[in-house]
Amino acid sequence: MGVDSFVDWLRDAAGVLHENAAYLTELDSAIGDADHGANMDRGFQAIVAVLDESSFDSADELLKKAGMTLVSKVGGASGPLYGTFFLRFGTALAGADLSAEAIGRALHAGVEGVLARGKAELGDKTMYDAWAPALEAYDAAVAGGSEVGPALTAAAEAAAKGRDATVPLVARKGRASYLGERSAGHQDPGATSTTLILESAARTLT
Amino acid sequence: MIGIVVVSHSRALAEAAVGLASEMVAEDKRPVIAVAAGLDATTFGTDAMAVSEALAAADSADGVLVLLDLGSAVLSAEMALEFVDPSVADHVRLSSAPLVEGLVAAVVTASTGASLDAVVAEAERGLVGKQDHLGDAPAAEAAPVVEADRTVEVVVGNEHGLHARPAARLVGLVNGFDAVVTLTDLDTGRGPVDAGSLSMVATLNAQQGHRVRVGASGPQASEVLAAIEKLAAAGFGDEPTVQAAPTAGGSGLDVAIGPAVLVGSGVDLSGYVAGDNELGRLDDALEAAGEQLRELRDTTPEHGDIFVAHLALLEDRKVLTAVEHAVSGGSSAPTAWQDVYDDLATTFEGLDDAYQRERAQDVRAVRDRVLRILVGATEESPADGILVVPELDAATAATLDATRIAGIAVRAAGTTGHGVIVARSRGIPLITGIGDVDVRPGATIAFDARTGSFEVAPDEDRVQATIRERQNERAQAVTRADEPAITRDGKTIDVLVNVGVVQDAVDAQGADGSGLVRTEVLFGDRRTAPTVDEQVEAFRAIARALENRPITIRTWDIGGDKPLPFLPQAKEANPFLGERGLRVFRRRPELLRDQLEAIRRVATETPVHVMFPMVTTADEVAWALDELGPRDGLEVGIMVEVPAAALRVATLAEDLDFVSIGTNDLTQYTTAADRTNTAVASLADGLDPAVLQLIDHVVRNAGVRVAVCGDLASSPQAAVLLAALGVTELSAVGPQVPLVKAQLRQADLSQIDTAAVLKARDADQVRGLL
Repeated sequence: MGVDSFVDWLRDAAGVLHENAAYLTELDSAIGDADHGANMDRGFQAIVAVLDESSFDSADELLKKAGMTLVSKVGGASGPLYGTFFLRFGTALAGADLSAEAIGRALHAGVEGVLARGKAELGDKTMYDAWAPALEAYDAAVAGGSEVGPALTAAAEAAAKGRDATVPLVARKGRASYLGERSAGHQDPGATSTTLILESAARTLT
Repeated sequence: MIGIVVVSHSRALAEAAVGLASEMVAEDKRPVIAVAAGLDATTFGTDAMAVSEALAAADSADGVLVLLDLGSAVLSAEMALEFVDPSVADHVRLSSAPLVEGLVAAVVTASTGASLDAVVAEAERGLVGKQDHLGDAPAAEAAPVVEADRTVEVVVGNEHGLHARPAARLVGLVNGFDAVVTLTDLDTGRGPVDAGSLSMVATLNAQQGHRVRVGASGPQASEVLAAIEKLAAAGFGDEPTVQAAPTAGGSGLDVAIGPAVLVGSGVDLSGYVAGDNELGRLDDALEAAGEQLRELRDTTPEHGDIFVAHLALLEDRKVLTAVEHAVSGGSSAPTAWQDVYDDLATTFEGLDDAYQRERAQDVRAVRDRVLRILVGATEESPADGILVVPELDAATAATLDATRIAGIAVRAAGTTGHGVIVARSRGIPLITGIGDVDVRPGATIAFDARTGSFEVAPDEDRVQATIRERQNERAQAVTRADEPAITRDGKTIDVLVNVGVVQDAVDAQGADGSGLVRTEVLFGDRRTAPTVDEQVEAFRAIARALENRPITIRTWDIGGDKPLPFLPQAKEANPFLGERGLRVFRRRPELLRDQLEAIRRVATETPVHVMFPMVTTADEVAWALDELGPRDGLEVGIMVEVPAAALRVATLAEDLDFVSIGTNDLTQYTTAADRTNTAVASLADGLDPAVLQLIDHVVRNAGVRVAVCGDLASSPQAAVLLAALGVTELSAVGPQVPLVKAQLRQADLSQIDTAAVLKARDADQVRGLL
């Protein structure tokens, strides 16, 4: 696994987010400002444009550039949040061996960044509700001897469960929190995009 | 002064909030406000990189306050702090204050030079006034527990009470003194509140007519009270409303002869003997100058705003401190005063913008007023003869006896100075830009502004003959001014008046309405944008003065050589080819929308036409019509000033009722010659056949009524030619309206060989044919 795998991941994620842009926006229109799909699509298309123009020698350089691109191009709260994730994820991979353990440490660093930035807690009906179980599943798989690919598959499956579990929750962060009780009964768009990105990682980072 | 950064999802929201807050304080006292909002002009979103750039732009050693809207604005701002230099990040404060109220409070407080902590505290109290008013607030905070050493009582004279702008002026004033000041509304019992805090003054909600007790303690308690009394007496600095009251009285001619009266060459300080209490003398002189200016303000209401500006200059704390410093250092009061004001005038003169540069003369007028008092010289009030002045200040122009003075010759060029505008509105014969001609006091001099000649020791008989000729010409024309202008071959031409100030409409004789209301001139002396109501009132006054004949209101025509103090523009390398007229508003339509609303409102009462200046493309026309909305009987047109607009007038005029040709700009754009640059000004001749060919093209192709409102329409000879080319409406400067009408009545348009004119070799040949 090398830089190319990460390039594949970002391109694949961009494709998936593009396909799901309308779906994500629809989820967001129920409880937010109806821009999550468009925002994520804009951000990841900007990453694709960067990939088309530049080449990268290392995964950390690539991922940090992706993070900065999201920060400037997404527009909504997911910009600084995913931007921080990729920046920290990339930074943690600097000089690392890209082993399952190293990627696990980087995932933790990225998600800690998301937490510090968004100050969310488990059950607030945010993307963290997908990230938290995903990290747990990834760690368990690696502890059981899995390679990166299978560990990411486990993580993506756990993220999907976490995403589904956001449906009954009452939002306590972000624009959805203005709706209070009325936010219950809707799936969280952020947890949904997180799951899509992790599923994409499971397909590409092998 | 601290810097401020506004982070928002929407650029329009941020810019409007900044506009609202900026209104509160004078431009030169505003903190730097940088905006990071929207992904572009229309896409909602925030960008941490943009925020970090805004932080760098607003960075100040005194700190930076960041005000934000919601959600990602907060996350992006926090992220931006990680991007900027740690030494910058250290003195940046992200505030949870409400964006709009917090920004207003922050701008006002920052303008007084307050610390970051103080500004943050004020911004966070930004909601107090509104909460208190709506009764859903924690009770107003107690006033500072300081026993006032002294108190005075003032009355709130402002129509809308101590509202935002006057309150801001009060707070700004108070914070300039080393004193704690409290306010108590004696009519409601509210207070005492801290007069140094905008939000607290707002909670007082003092209405017009309320008596307010002002208490002060601290080293400068008496000074601050005196200053507050002055401010209260001046209506807390609120602009006077629309001017009226005619004070004309000049001959209205453009020619004059008489003995030269030389003034304004500075005040002679050689006889001044310094004493041991120079500061005391200075204080007395300032007091006396303030009295004089207040009297001038109150007795010349139509020019009162000029003296309000002079008063503000006189009371500028920063300047006074510099003078006091110089006096403490051993200078005499007049020398110190003169040096500091000379420096200030030089600063103004060094500015890029012509309008600002001319404000230097206001500085010198205030300088000389105080110097005259210090040396005991009486104010010279010249009576008979022609006044020769280096530059014309407004006080002189407003107070001259217009029935006795023969005329004014100004050495400096420039036609937008306060004094020039005032003199013109009073009908005093005036010529500008005579330069360094050597003139001895008492020598007979004469000028003819129509031909641009200035003579020392002229042939008096010839000049007197010219004067008689012009008087006759004028008298005859004026007698018949109210009759329509029907040419000998039976064509009726509407002759209207160009209006810059309401007085122009009042003075106009025989005008069939106004073909051009220059809104940017009407409100050009304002530091803040006029409200919709104020605009309605001004337009209504103009229509009334013209007995409800149609008036054509031109929307803000700014940029180029015409900046507006309340709409600052970025410096451009080629302002005449830059954001002028309508172009300015494509990105920031708010001011235009207010104006269109005012126009629509007046149109329900009286016939009104609206026209948009500096139009180039059909897209611009469509955009302007879209902004205007339903027309409801309003006639809509555009100015034709750009050659491209003249050439494709058929396309542009498709949805219009009329077009009006601005010959001054059309000429300078057609000939590519700047009319203010003496080296090439002769090329910019409105009678150049190329310009006339464009006018002819417009008349043939517009498919709608064609008017001319440029200088060409004010010249009786050119007016006849324009009418012969098919122009049916001419808008001239007031004094020329009767003359233009008279000339048209004598003309037979069918006898004018327009084909020969259009084929002429140059402007001189055109003149020969007329």
